[in-house]
Amino acid sequence: MNLVANETLDAKGLACPMPIVKTKKAIKNLEPGHVIEVHATDKGSTADIKAWSESTGHQYLGTVEEGDVLKHYIRKASEAETSEEKKHGDVLDLDGLRSKIDGDETISILDVREPAEYAFGHIPGAINIPLGELEERFEELNKDDDIHVICRTGSRSDLAAQKLSEKGYQNVKNIVPGMKEWQGPTETNN
Amino acid sequence: MADTKVAIIAANGSLFDAYKVFNVATAAAASDAEVGIFFTFEGLNLIHKEGHKNLPIPEGKEHFKEGFEKTNVPSIEELVGIAQELGIKLIACQMTMDVMGLEKDEFVDGIEVGGAASYIEYAKDANISLTF
Repeated sequence: MNLVANETLDAKGLACPMPIVKTKKAIKNLEPGHVIEVHATDKGSTADIKAWSESTGHQYLGTVEEGDVLKHYIRKASEAETSEEKKHGDVLDLDGLRSKIDGDETISILDVREPAEYAFGHIPGAINIPLGELEERFEELNKDDDIHVICRTGSRSDLAAQKLSEKGYQNVKNIVPGMKEWQGPTETNN
Repeated sequence: MADTKVAIIAANGSLFDAYKVFNVATAAAASDAEVGIFFTFEGLNLIHKEGHKNLPIPEGKEHFKEGFEKTNVPSIEELVGIAQELGIKLIACQMTMDVMGLEKDEFVDGIEVGGAASYIEYAKDANISLTF
């Protein structure tokens, strides 16, 4: 799996509790919402990084094994995302999205999460343009399409949906809450 | 874990005891918990200026030495430094120091000295308390 992270931390050869201690230090300097890739050889680090993310409120994305090296992906918590306020009026819930996917019309799904989040599980056929890149890349989307914007919790997709409306896209729906609660089929990058 | 408090009593002084204490303590502090360790009796070895650099491996377990080196486990000296950097409170037991004739300046810098009541005061609202 070829993944994109904003930072890489080398914790190879270090025993417990060092991978956690180093990750804590490294994440301090990371921008909220960005993804860090932690390389470790400590076999206990998968369970530990996961538990650590849980207790510190960061988002554990997943682990890729490459030979002896475990590559852990964590996304730094972002306060902006915990806000409940949504501004884009046109919303659709997950059940609504599911029945549209199962239906006959062609719909497009835009996933605005970070590439590493997308890689560990997304709706089949969803296009990935991270929120931070939408300003430069929105023209990749077709203005006539029925666009369904999704992220993890519905906040980033809300911002993305607003942006697309500003750019003149008429049929944009924000999918709420998002991948966090999605029970339908997903696929991962290989 | 930002509102979690961990209170640890370190009452033994071998290398194994030191790892048990500092691994749990630093992992907790790295997870944003507030951590305090009360060092008493042989546990004082773990923060003694010279002592903590040369802690004994329990008798009959000397063969573990190789394993420690092979797995690249951090030294206790390193872990004490990390503990302090993470803001872990290190409290030496006054009574034990008096019994053993030890002064505060014989310990690593930045420790506090207190009696049993200081530990109880610290630990009374701890979410996790551990004794090693």
